[in-house]
Amino acid sequence: MRTAAALRDAGRDALALWRLRTTVGALALGIAAFAPLAASDARAADLAGGLYLAAAAVGLALAAGVAGLPCLAQGAFVAVGAVVSAHLLAHGTPTVLAALAGGTAGVLAGGTVGIAFVRLPPAGFAAATWIVSWLVALALQSLPWLLGGAQGIVVAGGPTPSQQYELALALTALSMLAYTALARAPIGLALAAAREREAAARALGVRTARLRVTVIAAGGGIAGVSGALAVQLAGVGDPASYGPFLSFKLLVVVLVGGGLAAFGAPVGVLVLGALSLAADALGTLEHVAASRAHELLAAIMLLGVVSLGWEGIVRPARRERLGGDSALPQRPETAPLTAVDVGKSFGELAAATDVSLEVEPGRITALVGPNGSGKTTLLRLLAGTLVADTGRIDRAEGGVARTLQSTAVFPSLTPVEHLLVASAARRRRSGFLRSLLATPLARAEEGAFVAEARHVLGQFGLATQADVPAGALPVSDQRLLMLAAAYATGASILLVDEPTAGASTGEARRVIAQLLRLRDQGLGLLVVEHNLGVVRNLADRIIVLDAGRVVADGPPDEVAANERVRAAYLGRQTL
Amino acid sequence: MRHHARVAVLLQVLASGFAAGAVYGIVAVGHSLVFRLTGVVHFAFGELIALGVFVTLLVAAGSGPVSQTSVGGARFLLALVVGLLVTAAASAGAYFLAIEPYRARGSTIGWVGASLAVAFAVRTLLVVFFDRPAYVFPDPIPFRRLGSEGFWQVGGATIQVRSLFVAAVALALAALGVRLLERTRFGRALEAIAQDFDAAVIVGLPVARLVGLAFALAGIWAGLAAILAAPSAAFDVDAASRYGLYGLLAAAVVWFDARRALVVGIGVGLLQAGVSSAHLAGASIGPPYRDVVPLGLGLLLLAWRSRTTGEALE
Repeated sequence: MRTAAALRDAGRDALALWRLRTTVGALALGIAAFAPLAASDARAADLAGGLYLAAAAVGLALAAGVAGLPCLAQGAFVAVGAVVSAHLLAHGTPTVLAALAGGTAGVLAGGTVGIAFVRLPPAGFAAATWIVSWLVALALQSLPWLLGGAQGIVVAGGPTPSQQYELALALTALSMLAYTALARAPIGLALAAAREREAAARALGVRTARLRVTVIAAGGGIAGVSGALAVQLAGVGDPASYGPFLSFKLLVVVLVGGGLAAFGAPVGVLVLGALSLAADALGTLEHVAASRAHELLAAIMLLGVVSLGWEGIVRPARRERLGGDSALPQRPETAPLTAVDVGKSFGELAAATDVSLEVEPGRITALVGPNGSGKTTLLRLLAGTLVADTGRIDRAEGGVARTLQSTAVFPSLTPVEHLLVASAARRRRSGFLRSLLATPLARAEEGAFVAEARHVLGQFGLATQADVPAGALPVSDQRLLMLAAAYATGASILLVDEPTAGASTGEARRVIAQLLRLRDQGLGLLVVEHNLGVVRNLADRIIVLDAGRVVADGPPDEVAANERVRAAYLGRQTL
Repeated sequence: MRHHARVAVLLQVLASGFAAGAVYGIVAVGHSLVFRLTGVVHFAFGELIALGVFVTLLVAAGSGPVSQTSVGGARFLLALVVGLLVTAAASAGAYFLAIEPYRARGSTIGWVGASLAVAFAVRTLLVVFFDRPAYVFPDPIPFRRLGSEGFWQVGGATIQVRSLFVAAVALALAALGVRLLERTRFGRALEAIAQDFDAAVIVGLPVARLVGLAFALAGIWAGLAAILAAPSAAFDVDAASRYGLYGLLAAAVVWFDARRALVVGIGVGLLQAGVSSAHLAGASIGPPYRDVVPLGLGLLLLAWRSRTTGEALE
């Protein structure tokens, strides 16, 4: 009974998401499934090979498209799957088991590469994965025990070419479904946010490294399965087919086809395949060995895409997120944030010395001080993005969120999606597998959180722009949006860095109104602010920082009267 | 006797390892130069080396077979100059055509793809035009006349005379490169660009020209590395790609610090020579592992490094 209801819900959700693109895709899949009827065995085998390439490319699109990582090791993951599978198949293991083993090996390879290098800056990640690609290629060439050396490992028997074709088609379709599910799930949203503004995503609690490792491993798994199956299709595991060029070709396919849509990679394979056929035809005329032309073709194609400034052929479809009707989730207990004798220095420079302070719920504490007095450093320490050298900071897990100094929205995400990124840490049913399978619980939770996001956006006066890419919003709305996102993390303490910097008086008033509203809801706010007029209107308490030390701490009137503050900071201005 | 044999092996490993490593070192300095300036990894470096070698060959002797003695001095000198100019132009051209458009937009994955595309394009063109399996590159300096056919017998070891020369020139070149970066106005301007690209534009530095020049310089660098390295053994495009790869490895491990990259490059060469002639429990682990071991070890170091660079983000 429950299963029936769940199926009905799933059907309804699927229908709601159904678009022209979906119809086209389903039709194409249906027609493609009958292709072996019209094709010779050799042709079917060629097509199957292309589909395995497409599946591996869809896996790469997770890392290179959704997460924006310049991963150059996808060919190596294909190779790992192929090696494992070739040995198993040569010992008579059934195809399905060999494919599973290849997939597992791909996941392990992807996970290892991810864990090892994902924390490097992007250029370093590209260099490291490129070296991995070479390492695997050279190892296969020079170590005969891996894949039989120059002769390769012969893998006889197995499915017929048309069966292989159906397998490859199913694998590609499943990869595309997995891609779609993950890209749309909180995992994909968080990765997109980190791709566009890493620091801002981290400030909202996105665990970038962990999510990135997850998608690299998932992509590696798909690559492993396709390598494992393709080796049986080829009939021989040949080290020469897994050179660095394979990794490059996969990247070209993703970049040309478009890494942000499930259809991108397969379309890229299609285009490259069509061009290769044309080049082969031309090569026969000119008596040039065609196989050499393929590398050049891929390279020229990519350079063409670069110089034309394309972002790939298939662009992502934008779909409105449908809210459910659940009640708002509970906010965690409010707890104060306290720092005791915190110190931090960068080399010679002491950015914070013996700082003790408390941010209480239901109050606005302003943090002021001259430029370079250590305000932003202190915020980072309190938020936990920096680790203090000395002292102690007590904060509830997930209880503190921070907004960044500049207005740092994720341009291609909508406001609703911003809030979903922020609220992801509060979810319990949005893990990798639940997202992949879109379980009923995961879908119900999604609905509840979308509803919550719309409600919160309404409170912040952003309801009408809820489904517009945030990059298109005016700056004042972007400012409010990031405040709303910090609120949506569910934290009871918000650290707000210069909320009115560069704002007009009217805009500043909107922000102040929101800050006061949040205070009245019982949140504790620590606001860094330069505009002392704003501070005066806003703060219940003022902390003055000078050269990394607290020089005054108390109610506005008391601090305004403080001689040391006047001397150190307020010389020209009065509160 | 056994003792003597060991000393001989050690000498041989040192000499050949140092010579190969010095070339890796130059390439690593080139990689560092480019990365420091632009934040871009020059994935086509190895292919530029190949371009330098083959253009020089083409000018010196056409695309026919070349032997050590068939090329005259003056023509060969001309060929060397043309080779260097072409690599310089190719490097700068690649930057303006393929890398700059993406770098300006801040798309890492774009310039990574574009520079790889340049690499594969150059590579394929070379393979199509120079389609014999391996080429002999005539030696600009006739080392053959020294010792016995260019080899010295030292303590039982047979050492290629030119390997000592390669090592010496490479060290001098690398020192020159480091000095250029640190001491000259050009170097300081480049440093300013590397620190803050936008600020350098505002201050009025001719940024595009300087960066283009830096890429051209990297191209010349690649050409010099090529001329140094190529005559030691039969040469093909893959060999050049590996110079680029090992240079990148050496530079990445020390995060593109030019001085250290040179040292690591030499270390990689020594390690490779060591692995090639190493024996373990009587069995030779030798040549099959000469690529796998240095690359694997380098990746381990890089993984170790990633634990610390991550904190610097934000």
